[in-house]
Amino acid sequence: MGEPKAAGNGAPAEEPVLSVRNLRAYYQMRYFGIDREVRAVDDITLHVDRDEIYGIAGESSCGKSSFIKTVAAANRPPLNVVDGSVRFSFLDRDIFKLGEEELSQVRWKHLSYIMQGSMNVLNPVRRVRSSFVDFAFRHIGKPERAFFDEVARHLERLHLAPAVLDAYPHELSGGMRQRVTIALATICRPEFIIADEPTTALDVVVQKGVLTMIREVQQELGSSILFVTHDLTVHANIADRLGIMYAGRLVEEAPTREIFANPLHPYTAHLIQSLPRIGDLSQKRALPGAPPNLADPPPGCRFHPRCPLAMPICRRETPALSTLAPRHRVACFAASPAVAPSTEVGEAARPARPAPSLEARQ
Amino acid sequence: MLKIVRDLFRYNREFAVGAILATLVLAMAVLSAFSPYAPNQIYVVPPDAPPSWAYPFGTSSRGQDVFWQLTFALRNTLLFGFAVAILSRILSLVIGLVAGYRGGMTDRILMSINDTFIVIPLFPLLVLFYFVMRDGMNWVLLALVIACLGWAYDARLIRSVMMSLKTREFTRTSVFSGMRMHEIVVQEHLPYVLPIVFSTTLNNINWSIGLEVTLSVLGFTDINTPTVGTMIFWANQHSAMVAGIWWWLAFPTAFITLTFIALFLLAVSMNEYIDPRSRLARMGQGAG
Repeated sequence: MGEPKAAGNGAPAEEPVLSVRNLRAYYQMRYFGIDREVRAVDDITLHVDRDEIYGIAGESSCGKSSFIKTVAAANRPPLNVVDGSVRFSFLDRDIFKLGEEELSQVRWKHLSYIMQGSMNVLNPVRRVRSSFVDFAFRHIGKPERAFFDEVARHLERLHLAPAVLDAYPHELSGGMRQRVTIALATICRPEFIIADEPTTALDVVVQKGVLTMIREVQQELGSSILFVTHDLTVHANIADRLGIMYAGRLVEEAPTREIFANPLHPYTAHLIQSLPRIGDLSQKRALPGAPPNLADPPPGCRFHPRCPLAMPICRRETPALSTLAPRHRVACFAASPAVAPSTEVGEAARPARPAPSLEARQ
Repeated sequence: MLKIVRDLFRYNREFAVGAILATLVLAMAVLSAFSPYAPNQIYVVPPDAPPSWAYPFGTSSRGQDVFWQLTFALRNTLLFGFAVAILSRILSLVIGLVAGYRGGMTDRILMSINDTFIVIPLFPLLVLFYFVMRDGMNWVLLALVIACLGWAYDARLIRSVMMSLKTREFTRTSVFSGMRMHEIVVQEHLPYVLPIVFSTTLNNINWSIGLEVTLSVLGFTDINTPTVGTMIFWANQHSAMVAGIWWWLAFPTAFITLTFIALFLLAVSMNEYIDPRSRLARMGQGAG
């Protein structure tokens, strides 16, 4: 596991590869003249260090995918960035300030993406070789011979025979296809990889192999990974640090071991409690209620309608994500009196937003 | 490719019959190069002679050898069909791919044009076109016009395939990896769409030949270019049926029917070849 590289949460020893600051991205739609806004990513601040795997967990529709799409600036309308900044150490400015041309230079080479449902990343009617050429050739900038030498070496690293290059995707097994997609995403030795549920469709055994492989490649390339899945057991296996998202917000963040041993947010505690353990025969209790509608989130803490520890303040104020222990941040009033309401931040950001949604759409 | 054709020939009866008929018709068309007479010469042989060894398909009332005349007619008719198919394929591919990939406003504009073409009644329009052009009418012009009218259905089909391809992961990955729109469409999506286009092409050839023959028989085209349609037109002009010159009508009709059947069978077998499910069923049948 990545041992503490940055002491405390204050100033990290070296510049983080990714720092996200107060990111807000909303789905802005207009139906029958009524503006609707779904706050899928609401005020997220986090950073990812070099050589670190940062896991993001949360149930379906909590905004995980919207968040990472936004981080990669791959969001398309109606998902618009409303506020905040995303900075990568290999870019000289905010990723949202890059032009389309600059973005396509950076993507895949420095910032690559393992898509959700990555079983289907490969074009079914083209050989694997062509996919490599299409996606990576321009970024590597070597003559064809050298390029394929490098591809072959890289495939070997992922325990794939070079013969897969001549196969069509349907000729490969699910695990092989997954490895090919990982090879595709890492062939340019990117500094940063975003992985959106890369193991979801695989069975547990293959999953474990793929996870080990991602780890190995990551360690060899020294890249950082933003790893998203709803499966906490996967996170326990791979992530150095873990951020828990609920209803578009980051509610808790800590090193993986710490968060499993000592969850401070009641939602995290519930998530971890729901994991089956060997020898534990107790009945698992489901959390009552459902995640809120993000078009109309409850006031205050978004978790309070389902929270067993809800207090009056939770209904009025939004808790700020506060550092309670070294590298452990949590947004819950019940966790500690030190957690302050974040209304001033939230309200301060509000007036900047009512830019007409048509403008934001461009 | 050759292996596919061989296997299709062996295991797909529609393909085998279609291929044989198509080869027969094509061979006739190719023979036109060896004709002893120019296509527009008349009264070069004794008129109204029934089929014999000297004139295998007989001769017409205009003194033309029906066999050699038919070779020219088939050549022109097939060329016409191919020309229309290629032109309309280009149109439907470009419009379908762009509309499907771009979506939004582009899609709406292109598809409203597309739907306009779908609902326009073709035949009256073509007849009108003939009356406007009159002597300026020739088969190139007619091919252009029919191609401009014949792309709409397939453009819609291609668009719908594209819309589904657009949402697949590999499209998003391609976009993310920095490929441009034309690269994605041509390299990633076109190979997926082509088999469908190939199958509809054969139908489109059939359709355009059918239109051309219909127009020619009624005399709404350039009647001096020998096509199967104009041959029938001249036969009717000379009341071949009444005069008992049946061979003048029977052979062109027979050959154009064979062409239709050949193209139809090829299109059907292509469909089956492209659809993996029926291919699997066929494989099971072959094994059993």
